[in-house]
Amino acid sequence: MSTTQRILPKGVSETDFDAALSRFREIIGAGSVLTESDQLAPYTKIMMAGDQSDYIPSAALLPTTTEQVQEIVRACNEYKVPIWTISTGKNLGYGSAAPGATGQVMLDLHRMNRILNVDPEVCTALLEPGVTYQQLYDYIKENDLKLWLDPPAPSAIAGPVGNTLDRGVGYTPYGEHFMFQCGMEVVLANGEVIRTGMGGIENSSSWQVFKWGYGPYIDGLFTQSNYGIVTKMGLWLMPEPPAYRPFLIQYQDPEDIEEIVDVLRPLRIAQIIPNAVVIVHTLWDAGTHVMRRDYYDGTDSIPREAIERIKADEGIGEWNVYAALYGTPEQIEVNWKIVEQAFGASGKAKIMYGEEAEKRGGGFEYRSALMKGDMNLQEFGLYNWRGGGGSMWFAPVSQAKGSETRDQTELAQQILGKYGFDYVAEYIVGWRDMHHVIDLLYNRQDPEETQRAHDCFAELIDEFAKRGYGLYRTNTEFMEQVAGTFGDPLREVHRTLKNALDPNGILSPGKSGIRS
Amino acid sequence: MNLTRRQLLKNGMLVGASAPLSLGAAWAAERGLADAPVHGPIRLYGSDRSTTELGLGLRQQGWEPRYEGRLDPLALNALPAGALVTGFTDEAGLVLLTSLLAGRGRILALGRHEAGQHRLLSHRGPVAAPLAEERGSWQAALGREYARLALANDAGRHAEYFRRSGGAAENASELSFLVQL
Repeated sequence: MSTTQRILPKGVSETDFDAALSRFREIIGAGSVLTESDQLAPYTKIMMAGDQSDYIPSAALLPTTTEQVQEIVRACNEYKVPIWTISTGKNLGYGSAAPGATGQVMLDLHRMNRILNVDPEVCTALLEPGVTYQQLYDYIKENDLKLWLDPPAPSAIAGPVGNTLDRGVGYTPYGEHFMFQCGMEVVLANGEVIRTGMGGIENSSSWQVFKWGYGPYIDGLFTQSNYGIVTKMGLWLMPEPPAYRPFLIQYQDPEDIEEIVDVLRPLRIAQIIPNAVVIVHTLWDAGTHVMRRDYYDGTDSIPREAIERIKADEGIGEWNVYAALYGTPEQIEVNWKIVEQAFGASGKAKIMYGEEAEKRGGGFEYRSALMKGDMNLQEFGLYNWRGGGGSMWFAPVSQAKGSETRDQTELAQQILGKYGFDYVAEYIVGWRDMHHVIDLLYNRQDPEETQRAHDCFAELIDEFAKRGYGLYRTNTEFMEQVAGTFGDPLREVHRTLKNALDPNGILSPGKSGIRS
Repeated sequence: MNLTRRQLLKNGMLVGASAPLSLGAAWAAERGLADAPVHGPIRLYGSDRSTTELGLGLRQQGWEPRYEGRLDPLALNALPAGALVTGFTDEAGLVLLTSLLAGRGRILALGRHEAGQHRLLSHRGPVAAPLAEERGSWQAALGREYARLALANDAGRHAEYFRRSGGAAENASELSFLVQL
């Protein structure tokens, strides 16, 4: 199979596209306009169960300044060229660095990677979208600042701006990333620039400390959306605590998830345990470093017997709770007693920290690193679990209540089992909510299995919605379907905003199901 | 599996090795290697026999493979622009490698070598050779093909499927890549 024909943006003539490319070259230089097949190939890597030919860009643009982004947007309006914006392009399993549809031009902001300010007194940062967590981490270390980051699992290569804009999460007390965002600079579709919050005041010193500004608060409009291009973002950073104690609690029975969540909820709400706790199922905990074929060779769901062997061999539980305490040593001792008492009451939990936890199998070492904001790439190992390069995150939200968690777990296992996939999952516990994150791993090289994965994901969305569970985030293949579960009135508001802010529909058409 | 010193010497990939040049030259002539590399260095990643053989194929076509060990995609950031990189990795390595190349490099070719089948994806024109094993292993044939693609000026995406022979032991799934920074 060969593809040598030129790919054009939908509805754009070859003449107009050539004119647009010439204009882009004038704005950012010829070397920053990519059009060759081997240059664009990294932007075609998708891991979701879609047809790869649906996600091929016509070009990629690599600006370095806000002014260049403004000029690019003006040119796109003139020639009606749609652009799909990425920051560092590491939204793996959610669409990666590929466009939302074939023919769109990638606006890749990874070269806009300046750390504009880090203030160690008020613990804030102002960043461009191409800054990676590793880059910010190195800056903090090199300048001996007592600040911690909150990276997601692919920490070193992902970036705070892109992750926050997609409302990603991490594992420290600052785990809900959008909650700790403060102030944005945004290029609108007409090429104008706005600054949100206090940023509209000339020489304001409070842009990164006071979120709300004056009048309607609009930062949320630029997350998971296509209403503007965020070119700067403020973040709050966590002050390094005097002491830190990561710990592990293991439970061995599938139904224990109910007890775990009900014990955990009051501790999270009261901030006894302040971080975004994870409750990790066996197959996720093992899957970061164990190959499925070592335990089971079938193409259906891995059987209970094999799961029990993994638990025994690896020394991990059915559910593995990774959490941490932060503060002074005295505070930690007090809170540790509360944690031990709460989880020890039923006699089912094995509670560990320090050397004892390190000696257990599973992911204590890398989880401990993530819960203190250190860089780690261990979870890439999940891609080796089943092989074949297919991965889609199914991520419904629930209340932090044991009954809902058990309901979601059983429903997910039932649907995944029906299609022959494994339940590779974890819960991330917010203050009152939980993100149930399931990695639907499959072999993308097998067309039949890919179709099954597609059908499975679609059924998961529908069946969860019927029980009142919505997704907090999804990949580009399913954005339309997920948007539909939130109802037509909300979609109409999204569409009205899109028409007002981007009448030509040039910014990331289809993002979160929003089109003009 | 780590490469043995003998395997490394065979392919001229032991950095700083004091191998007798005459021995190396005699062996090279026997294996059909070029007298001296004419195309320059190419970084070679992987940690088993497949990597050795891939290096052999590259060397036969006049490239100078430099063995770098197991692929750490993050380490590629330290390589100069234009550097050619090839080798074998696992699924996680491939995901990381390809995602790091967006806006930073070119994917010239990717190979997925599974039981009974090779799947080759080229962005430098059609794949010419069906990884024939008459002149040795399929990995060496892949090296020769990657050597050709590294110099090709063609464009377009071309996917080819070839039959893979060999017993079960040789049929483990492997992933190859050829990229340019």
